[in-house]
Amino acid sequence: MTWLLANLETILLAVFGVSALAGGVLVVVLRQPMRAAMALISTMIFLGGIYGLLGVHFIAAFQVLIYVGAVMVFMVYVIMLLDPRDPAFRRRFSPLLFPGAAVALGLAATLIRGVAPGTAPAAAPAPARGFSLAEFATAFLNQYWLHFELTSVLLLAAVIAAIAVIRVARGDHG
Amino acid sequence: MIQDLVVYALYIAYAIAVLMTFGLVLTWVERKQAAVMSDRIGANRAYLRIPFTQVKLVWWGLFHGMADGIKMLLKEDFRPKPYDWYAYMVAPWVVFTPVLLVFAVIPFGGTLVPGQLSPALAGWFGERSYPMQIARLDAGLLMVFAFGGVSVIGAMLAGWSSSNKFSLLGALRAGSQMISYELVLALTLLGLILIYGTVDLTDIVRQQSGTIGALPAWGIVYQPFAATLFLAAAIAENKRIPFDLPEAESELISGYFTEYSAMKMGLFMFAEFIEIAIIAALFTTLFLGGYNLPYMHDGGFTLPGGREIAMSHGAVVVTQVVVFLAKVFLLCSFQILIRWSLPRFRYDQVLKFAWKFMFPLALANLIVTVIVVWALRA
Repeated sequence: MTWLLANLETILLAVFGVSALAGGVLVVVLRQPMRAAMALISTMIFLGGIYGLLGVHFIAAFQVLIYVGAVMVFMVYVIMLLDPRDPAFRRRFSPLLFPGAAVALGLAATLIRGVAPGTAPAAAPAPARGFSLAEFATAFLNQYWLHFELTSVLLLAAVIAAIAVIRVARGDHG
Repeated sequence: MIQDLVVYALYIAYAIAVLMTFGLVLTWVERKQAAVMSDRIGANRAYLRIPFTQVKLVWWGLFHGMADGIKMLLKEDFRPKPYDWYAYMVAPWVVFTPVLLVFAVIPFGGTLVPGQLSPALAGWFGERSYPMQIARLDAGLLMVFAFGGVSVIGAMLAGWSSSNKFSLLGALRAGSQMISYELVLALTLLGLILIYGTVDLTDIVRQQSGTIGALPAWGIVYQPFAATLFLAAAIAENKRIPFDLPEAESELISGYFTEYSAMKMGLFMFAEFIEIAIIAALFTTLFLGGYNLPYMHDGGFTLPGGREIAMSHGAVVVTQVVVFLAKVFLLCSFQILIRWSLPRFRYDQVLKFAWKFMFPLALANLIVTVIVVWALRA
């Protein structure tokens, strides 16, 4: 019991980490778009769990709020609408199997070389514990506001483009 | 360490017990209140008979909630051939779990110091103190929105996987409606966050112990407009009448959960009723001074004239817990009052109401708040 309590954080970290990895693998392996989306959702939530475990609860909240509550909701919405029209997932393998596998192997090799002992870059100094939402908000609005606003311009452009596409598809130019 | 574990296990048990009881009782309150409002008698048939006697406990039909629960557990779990079996099975839980999780960050009382309650506890707990809340996070309100966004996915999965066109239409409606109103919901609260300067829910409640003139410094006094918008958007988010288009029974049978039966259907219903309590708890916490009576704080009362009334720790804890439950229950009842008073919108009206009425109003409220806060601080 005491051992369990003393190592609770490590055990939870292991559980969340393995679950997040398993979810990530499932995203790649599953053929059905909705199931891949569900696996991605579980990965996002477990990643949020890891952030929460590190004591940055607001990052965990943002992780779930933005990736699950916004991005994945729209993905599920789109799959729900379009899924039956595209039966491509019923085939066992994609025609791009071999190029895809080659790229995956290359990526894996690069990652392993990067992480291999001796070649790993020095770890960044661990930030002081209890990095609070207030500090984050101050830094965000003082240093990064321009980047943030530029992103929103990009999103606005995307929205206008989407509307334009719909109007062209409908043949409605007025 | 063990003490912490015991206290938090108790908190979690309390939270689950409260939510389940609210879920069960509200199913009865909804019917009984409808009956009272329309001058009928209402649910009054279910009773418990004390064994070996003829004494029947009717208690105004309060056991109807229990009868419903038992019925749903024992009914045949008819399973249609779903389009996607896995999504079909997982969907009720994706709807139900986040609703419960939201309660983890809501404070249901002030600070508990077990050592001050009784001498027997003092030896074991010492001077440890615990905020009466399962998880006190500096990002409390953000967590509420994070979990709130997850149940949309459950509704959409349920409708999509059922391979029924009514379900799919219901899921479509649920998706668009919940996404729209979630935006309004968040926007209405920004003004409040600006005034309190924090998203930590315990901190928000503590700041409401103060006064503005003679009035208690409750959120509803600062932001009456936002409070109204918040309640309306929250009811829409919960998909209740007048916003129950995703499950409009005269058009879509039962919308996205048409193909669910027995307890799986019960989970959807139960999630809806528990969410009534969650909305009430959130509204209490943000706008109605949380677990405190007006002018009350963890040490007793500070009346507007500057008079202090001290209270013992035990009395404060009991008052806070009871006051919180009472406020939540009254707000639940108010939501049910709305449900039986207003007719259902048409679907285009629901979305128009969100985007062309509530969204601009929430924005206007935010802009006015920003200007006022800026002017007062300058």
